[in-house]
Amino acid sequence: MSAVPSTSGQHSGRLYWPVQAGRNVGVRGLFAVVLAFIVAYGFLFPGLFTMSGFAKFTQSWFPLALVAMAQALLMLTGGISLAIGATVSLGAVIAATTMVGPLGVAGGSALVAAAGLGIGAITGFIVVKLRLPAIVVTLAGSFIIGGAALLILPRPGGAMPEWLSDLLAGNTPAAFLLLVAIVLLWKLYLATPLGLSLYAAGENPVGAYRSGVPVDAARIAAYALSGLLSTGAGLFVAAQTGSGDPVIGAAFTLNSIAAAVLGGIGFLGGQGTMRGALAGSLLLSLMISVMFFLGFTPVAQYVAQGLIIIGAVALPQFRKVQR
Amino acid sequence: MSPKARIMTILRSRPFLTLLVVAAVWIVASLATRGFGAFGHLRYLVELAAVIGLVAAGQTFVVVAGGIDLSVAAIVTVAAVGLPLVSSSADPTGLSAILIVLAMTTAIGLVNGLGVAYLKVHPMIMTLAMATFLQGLLIIIAGGSAVSVQNPLVGWLGNARPAGIPAGVLLWVVISALVLFVMHATPFGARIFAIGANPRAAELSGVPVPATTIAIYGISGLTAGLAGVLVLGMNGQGYVGIGDPYLLASIAAVVLGGTSILGGLGTYAGTIPGSILLVTITALITVVNASPGWRSILFGSLILGLLLLSGREAARR
Repeated sequence: MSAVPSTSGQHSGRLYWPVQAGRNVGVRGLFAVVLAFIVAYGFLFPGLFTMSGFAKFTQSWFPLALVAMAQALLMLTGGISLAIGATVSLGAVIAATTMVGPLGVAGGSALVAAAGLGIGAITGFIVVKLRLPAIVVTLAGSFIIGGAALLILPRPGGAMPEWLSDLLAGNTPAAFLLLVAIVLLWKLYLATPLGLSLYAAGENPVGAYRSGVPVDAARIAAYALSGLLSTGAGLFVAAQTGSGDPVIGAAFTLNSIAAAVLGGIGFLGGQGTMRGALAGSLLLSLMISVMFFLGFTPVAQYVAQGLIIIGAVALPQFRKVQR
Repeated sequence: MSPKARIMTILRSRPFLTLLVVAAVWIVASLATRGFGAFGHLRYLVELAAVIGLVAAGQTFVVVAGGIDLSVAAIVTVAAVGLPLVSSSADPTGLSAILIVLAMTTAIGLVNGLGVAYLKVHPMIMTLAMATFLQGLLIIIAGGSAVSVQNPLVGWLGNARPAGIPAGVLLWVVISALVLFVMHATPFGARIFAIGANPRAAELSGVPVPATTIAIYGISGLTAGLAGVLVLGMNGQGYVGIGDPYLLASIAAVVLGGTSILGGLGTYAGTIPGSILLVTITALITVVNASPGWRSILFGSLILGLLLLSGREAARR
């Protein structure tokens, strides 16, 4: 440690990039696979490199990226949510029923955000303060949230303002820019006390608690943010389809877990990085697109997806065993 | 232990408390709604609980060993949809088809176990991916239509009532006795608890962890397959999605019965009343004539409420 000068303020900048690079070590293989898939995708679908092609691709990735972040956030604190899909649906139906009404886009967005934060905070409170297992709470929660979505909109319907759909799901890369903004916000969050506590709370809750880290607050905040990201994904899906559907989010629960795990997030908390989760979601999204272009039926996609997820998760373990 | 102390232990045990909750709910519901307390209705509830109880039997093994099986719903469907396909008219009893299906579901469970034990894939991912895989496979095999079954033994299992007791409930009683015996009176059962409490310590103490893990998931596949056969017999038809309600139900029954989702602690004796409790809740919700949305909210809230009463983890020290 003697090599580190005492005037750390000016040198922490020099340390920043090596530390960041160090975090890439675990996910380098994943980045390579993602790159290979992007090349394959570009080969199958040359339109990817035009503005509208890029926009369409990032739009298909965007909701998955958000739910992957939502799940990764929880898994980093040692939690998990099986209610992500239901929460996405709820966000979609709230958006589709309020935004064309008197509340307008601003009011609707505020409602969607409030619902996500509120549901997440309540879930977090139950899991953290009442000490119930997260798996079971969120499984029961998925029924409650899904039921609420059915109450708001019993069957697919509602509407989204046309200009919003054009803005988010049109031919501009607005979704990509939004994702960049969200990633920057995540970086900012990591610099706040709650964000700093996130990894500590997941890696070693007892040790962190004894060192004065606000473990409970960090975990509840993680659930709240995860809810916000999920309903946000719902809003985007509603804008994409132009209407609301009370069960549209169902597939996101499995896909969010798969993306996070593909991205190297561990189940025990404190292991993994958000860039890994994002790369995992990108890989999953690419996989689905490539299979679509190769003419796989949706059913064969299920089968292939199951196999690829097991393979991708098992492979690093396999190498570890051989070493 | 003196007899008095032993009685006190039983009275304070989680399975007994869950049983008390069931009894209380039954008594209150019988007084509040007409027909709920009729023998025929209660018998019907226990018959429905038998399916959940069978799925939850394997789930209890897996959860006690520190894992979780999210593929049980898909396996129930595989059994219910697959059985009519393998039934042949050459076998008048229909036993061979049942055995083939059970072998199939056990094999699916064993593959889960192989993935968890040797590839070190987290149980949640392994079984979820298996469920996704099976879901695709089922649609390829069965398509969207329902398949009906002409299998005498399956029909008997679903509809016969020797001495007034449904055959499905008899099957459940037999399986329950077997499960309780294996879990609490054999070395295999002791190993499961050891793995759930601390896998590394179990490994170092000479427990064959991989083999035991594979066997546990195999058992889960077997009991889920049995549940699928029973549900097919009760329904007369199998279709894709028939097993879906049993995923949450099996996990909830295990947790409501006092088994820790973290592993190493619990008993099937709690899962049995847990299954009956779940069916009772569902029946009560059906009595309250509500829209699907409210029904779903009510179901989730009741499970959450019951969990608050019973499923809390120990405080951090």
